[in-house]
Amino acid sequence: MNFNIAIAGNPNCGKTTIFNALTGARQRVGNWPGVTVEKKSGQYNYSDIRFDVIDLPGTYSLAAFSAEETVVRHYLEQDEAQVVVNIIDASNLERNLFLTTQLIELGKPLVIVLNMMDMAHEKGLQIDADTLATLLGAPVVPVVGRTGEGMDLLKEKILRVSTEISMKSRFIDISYPRDIEIEIEKLTHLIKRDDESHKQSRWTSIKLLESDKQTRDEVRIHPDGADILKQAKNSIERIELIFKDTGRAIISHARYGFIQGALRECVVESLVDSVDYSRKIDRLITNRWLGLPIFGLFMWLMFKLTYDLGSIPMDWIDAGLISLMNFISALMPESMFASLLVDGVIGGVGAIAVFLPNIFILFFIIAVLEDSGYMARVAFIMDRVMHNIGLHGKAFIPMIMGFGCNVPAIMGTRILESRRDRILTVLINPFMSCSARLPVYVLVAGAFFPDNAATVIFSMYVLGIVAAIASGKLFSRTILKGMSKPFVLELPPYQRPTLRSLILHTWERGYLFIQKMGTVILVGSVIIWVLGYFPRDVQVERDYQKERMELVEDYDYQMINLGTKFNKSVQKDRQEYHSEMIAYESSSSYQELHHQFQQLQDDLQNKEALELYRLRQQEIGDITEQKWIGRVGKIFEPIVRPLGFTWRESVALITGFVAKEIVVSTYGVLFGVGEDIDEGSQGVISGLRSSGMTPLVALSFLVFTLLYTPCLATVAAIKRETGTWAYTIFSIAYSLGLAYLLAFGVTYFGGMFNWLS
Amino acid sequence: MFNFKKPRHKLHIADENDLRLSDLKPGEKGRIVEIGGSENFRHRLIEMGITRDAEICVDKYAPLRDPMELIVKGYHLSLRGMDAQKICVERIA
Repeated sequence: MNFNIAIAGNPNCGKTTIFNALTGARQRVGNWPGVTVEKKSGQYNYSDIRFDVIDLPGTYSLAAFSAEETVVRHYLEQDEAQVVVNIIDASNLERNLFLTTQLIELGKPLVIVLNMMDMAHEKGLQIDADTLATLLGAPVVPVVGRTGEGMDLLKEKILRVSTEISMKSRFIDISYPRDIEIEIEKLTHLIKRDDESHKQSRWTSIKLLESDKQTRDEVRIHPDGADILKQAKNSIERIELIFKDTGRAIISHARYGFIQGALRECVVESLVDSVDYSRKIDRLITNRWLGLPIFGLFMWLMFKLTYDLGSIPMDWIDAGLISLMNFISALMPESMFASLLVDGVIGGVGAIAVFLPNIFILFFIIAVLEDSGYMARVAFIMDRVMHNIGLHGKAFIPMIMGFGCNVPAIMGTRILESRRDRILTVLINPFMSCSARLPVYVLVAGAFFPDNAATVIFSMYVLGIVAAIASGKLFSRTILKGMSKPFVLELPPYQRPTLRSLILHTWERGYLFIQKMGTVILVGSVIIWVLGYFPRDVQVERDYQKERMELVEDYDYQMINLGTKFNKSVQKDRQEYHSEMIAYESSSSYQELHHQFQQLQDDLQNKEALELYRLRQQEIGDITEQKWIGRVGKIFEPIVRPLGFTWRESVALITGFVAKEIVVSTYGVLFGVGEDIDEGSQGVISGLRSSGMTPLVALSFLVFTLLYTPCLATVAAIKRETGTWAYTIFSIAYSLGLAYLLAFGVTYFGGMFNWLS
Repeated sequence: MFNFKKPRHKLHIADENDLRLSDLKPGEKGRIVEIGGSENFRHRLIEMGITRDAEICVDKYAPLRDPMELIVKGYHLSLRGMDAQKICVERIA
C-alpha cells in the first residue's frame, strides 16, 4: 500500500528542508516533462505504509504565470497526489497563507506545516496552531525543519489524513464579498449540472471569475461550456462595474482579507525586543558603499576556491589517469583496441574528469550562497547592471562562472526563475572565455606575440564580454523580446545552511554533470580518435624512411670525419711538442683538444636529433593529412581560407568542438610533437611559426577560438537547459557565424592596412 | 465562443502629481493607494502582498541606486524603480 504526497509552498519557506527530512537521501531529481523545472521525488515508510513524495517547485500562487506555477497547478489538479503538504514559513505567515487559501479551494486533503517556528518565536510571534487548524479546516503541524523537530508528528498527521475519511471532510470555504459570492453561486449552479462536487465547481467558478485562461480552456470542452463561459463573462462585467477593479484583483484582496481575519484570531504578536538579524547583516552586505566590494570579494573567493582548491585533486586525477594509461599500455599489446581505450576513451573522458573537482566545489559554493540567502542579495546588488542586457540580477552569477567553465555556468542558470531569462543567459554564456581556452591563447600568443602575450590574452577576455553584452542586447530586442517578467524579488532572511542539504544539492547537480557530459564526451572523443586513427595504411609521397637513413648515414660519416680529424690533431700535437713526454694523455694541451672534440661531437649529435625530429614532425603532419581527420580538414579548408587559415587550423578548430583544450593537443599531433604537450611546448611554437601563419592570422585564429562553440559538453548543457534542439542549434550557428565574421574582419581589415603581416 | 478582452472599465488613473512608491526615501513608510501597470504585473504584486491599503516601508536602495528594498507584510522584497513608479502611495508617519 502506498500514498502519493505532494509538498507545496512558497519559495524560501524551507520546503526542500522538510522534503529532505522526510525522505532522507532516497530521492531522485529529474525534469518535469516538457519544461526545465526540476522534479524531485523521494519516499519514506511510516507504519508499514510507503509514502511517495514529490517536492513541487516553490510558488507564491497557483495562477499559472510561470513554468513553475503551471507545473504545480497541473500536478495538483490531477488525481495523482492524495495528500498535499503545504509548508508555511511561520515567521512570514500572511504572505505564505495566500497560497494556502488556493490549496484549500483546490480541495485536496491538506496538511499544513508551520515551518521555522524557532524564527517565529524570535520574532515574538505566538501562533495558536489549533485555532489556525480550525479556521483553515486542515491539521496544522508546527515544526523546525532544520533540527527535525516535529517531524514524527508530521508523519503521523500525513498518515491519518491519508487513511482516515473523517480527516478529509473538514473543508471550509474562503468567503468572498457578497457580490462575488452571488456570482460564484450563479456559476456553480451551472457547472454542477456537470456532476462535479461542490469543491470542484466552486474552484472552477472562482478561477473563471479570475479570468484564468487554463480553466476557460477546460470549461470550453464541457457540454454546457458555452453557457458557463457566457455567465462568467457577465459575472466578470458585473464585478468590475461594482468594484471598479478586475475579478482577479478583488478575489486576491479578499483572500488576504480572509488571512488577516484568521491571523487576528490565532496570532499574538508580543512586543519583544526582537532583533532582525537579517536586516542587520544586510546593513553591511547590501550597504550603499560596501555592498559592491563585498560582493566582489565573495566572487573572487568563489573563483579562488574553485580553481585553487580544485587543482589539488585535479593533479591526483591526472596522475591516476596517466598511470592507468601506462598500466593498460603495458598490459595490452599494441592494437587498435588498446589505442581506442587509452587514447580515445581514457584520454577523452579523462580530459573532462579532471574538471570534476572544480565543478563539485563550484556547485558546493553555489549551494552555500543559495541556502544562506545570499543569492537573492546578489540579484539585488547586480540587477542594475544585468537589467541593461535585459536580464535579472541573478543572471550575473552564471556569467561570472562562465570564466571558469561554461558547463556548470549554463547549468547554474537554473537559479533564474523565468525561462526567457534562462535561455538568454544560456545563449550568451559561451562568450565568457572559459579556462579551457586559456591554453590556446597562451600557445598562440606565446608563439606570435611573445612581447605582448598578456595584452593579447586579456583583450580576448574583454572581447568575449563585449560579445556577450552585445548579443544579450540583440537577443533581448529580437528573438527573446517581450517575454520578460517584472522584477519582484523576495529577500528571504539569512539562514545557516545545513551540511546535509549542501551535500545533497551539490551531489544532485554534480551527478547530472557526470552522467550527461560523460556520455557526450565519450562519444565525441571516440569520434575524434576514429578520425585520427583511420585509414591505417597511409601512402606518403616523400620516402621518409629513405630520407631518415640518408640523414643518419650523413651524420655517421661526419662523425667518423670528426674522429679522424681528432686523431690527426693529437698525433701532430704529440710529435711537435710532447714527443719526450710519457704521460701525454694527462697533459693540458691534450685535455684541451679532447674537450674541443667532445663539444663538437655533442653539437653534431644534437643537430642530428633535431633534424630527425623535424623530419618526424613533417612525416606525422603528412600522415595526418592523409587520415580522415586531415581529409575533413581539407574539406573545410576552402571555407576557412578567407580567414587565412590552412587545413591545420581547420582540423584544430574541428577537434576543438570536443573541447577547446584539444586545439592545443591537435597542433601537437599535427606537428608531430605528440599529444603529451603543454602550451609552452617549443615544438608546436616552432611548427606554428614555420607553417607560414602570420601574426595577423594568428590573432584571427584566437578570435575564432574565443567565439565559436566552446565544447561538446557545453552543447549538451545548452540542450539540457533550454530543452530544445532549436536553441541549441541556434547557439552553435550564431557563435560560429559571429566567430567567422569577426575573424574575417581581423584578417581582412588587418590585411588591408598591412598590420602584423 | 466568447472572447475575454482586457478589462472594459477604466480604473482610477493616477495623475502626475500623485505620490509614487519610487518617491519615498529610505526609512519612509507609505500606504498603497493604487497599483498601475499591466494586468500580470498588478496581480503578481497583489499575490506578493502589495495589496491596496497595505503598509509598505522603503528600507534602502541597492548600491547602484536600483532596485529598492521594501518591507511589506513583515518580509523584505525588492522592486525596480521603474516598477515602483507604477505604485501610488500616501505617505504615513
